[in-house]
Amino acid sequence: MKIALVSDIHANLEALQSVLKDIAKEGAETVHFLGDAVGYGCSPNECVALLKKMCDIRLLGNHDYAAMGLEATTSFNQVAQTSMEWTLANLSRKTVSLLADFEMQASFEDYHLVHASPDYPEDWNYILNQEQAAEQFEHFKEKVCFVGHSHLPMIFSVDGDGQVVSAVKSELVFEENKKYIVNVGSVGQPRDNDARACYVILDTVEKCLRYRRVEYDITAVQKKMRQAMLPDFLVERIAVGR
Amino acid sequence: MPEIVVKYEDKIIERVVSEKKRLTVGRTSDNDIVLDNRGVSRKHAQIEFNDNAAVIIDNESLNGTFVNNRRVTEEILRDGDTITIGKFSLEYYTETRRPETGSGLDGTMVLNTKKQKELVARDRSEKEIVKRMGGNVLMGEDNTDFSEFRLDRDVTTIGKAKFVHVHAKGFLLSGIQAKIVKENDQTAIINLGRKGKTRVNGEEIDRQVLKNGDIIQVGKSVYRFLEGNR
Repeated sequence: MKIALVSDIHANLEALQSVLKDIAKEGAETVHFLGDAVGYGCSPNECVALLKKMCDIRLLGNHDYAAMGLEATTSFNQVAQTSMEWTLANLSRKTVSLLADFEMQASFEDYHLVHASPDYPEDWNYILNQEQAAEQFEHFKEKVCFVGHSHLPMIFSVDGDGQVVSAVKSELVFEENKKYIVNVGSVGQPRDNDARACYVILDTVEKCLRYRRVEYDITAVQKKMRQAMLPDFLVERIAVGR
Repeated sequence: MPEIVVKYEDKIIERVVSEKKRLTVGRTSDNDIVLDNRGVSRKHAQIEFNDNAAVIIDNESLNGTFVNNRRVTEEILRDGDTITIGKFSLEYYTETRRPETGSGLDGTMVLNTKKQKELVARDRSEKEIVKRMGGNVLMGEDNTDFSEFRLDRDVTTIGKAKFVHVHAKGFLLSGIQAKIVKENDQTAIINLGRKGKTRVNGEEIDRQVLKNGDIIQVGKSVYRFLEGNR
């Protein structure tokens, strides 16, 4: 069975729509969402409604949590704060009520899902290097933990001797004696120098995964973001994937 | 006949309907209206009735007598005026608003001091709880997994998800059904989810500033809000 794992949409509707089309083309029957539906982009209400319709598991990210007024944005950088103020002003009552039923973490079969890190999901800690990854493996019992948050598609694995390795790959076949933390990248705001939307297709029968990169109409999104008066930095970064 | 409705923190303790020309108000039991609370002086005030007029006179009380939130020494009362003495409020009406029941021989109703004492005792124990907990407190009343929960965060989430701060029970309930937020000097509850409802004192709300003693219902769980700095 093919399952699509999407994360960090960040209110980029065009990127999400293109990814959903690609998922259908790839024959994945199920889509799970790993958090951060809103923030940065200009279509938060449309994205949340579409994720609610299309995804089986829906997780909360730190931007979703802040957009519901559940956390101060003091830990956000200046640009993220500005965009969060825009989001708070433009988020509909209905969108908040939909987000109220998103989860913090979930699991199915031998797979765990969380936005940031499995140890303390609400702390929104990043897993960026082998050291940070090494601390996380004991906090999920499943074979693979899928995460988002950093917008950087990468894979951490640990073998039976506790040796942690990180890798950036486009495909992976799970090995028997290893556990994995897989960052599925970002649909709406990639930061790995590739502007195309990023997501993962997991094959639960073949025990393997593939990263997918999908082109979408970035110029159209930038035009909408400028009309919404979002900061130039955010408008420009989606074209360069940083 | 004029009527005085005595309330303690918005709860009616007694309705006083009197033919007397003068009603005394104070802490000691020899008053016509006994307000048993340390904020009330022994002989705090008196209400005098002349023909169709009523006047409240403050007896140089320590904490004062207020009419419609304005401190007064002597004030003619108008229909619907609220006299505040300590934590009590006395509402004055020129005519009795409902049929008289249980009036005594001299026409003065006997104050239900037992109920009043219970309210005052509960107030004291609640004050001890908020003092011990050091701030605003959510008391578990029904279908809750705690008896006291300290509201020390800027935002406290309530719902059926595992990760919320206060777990609520009920089938029709969102993961995060509601949040309690500190806003300046106020505490407010805001409904977020659409699966269930949030009620304050029985009323369904979207957003409500909480007052001491408010009863909050989220799903099947019931909590009482105690304000820390009263």
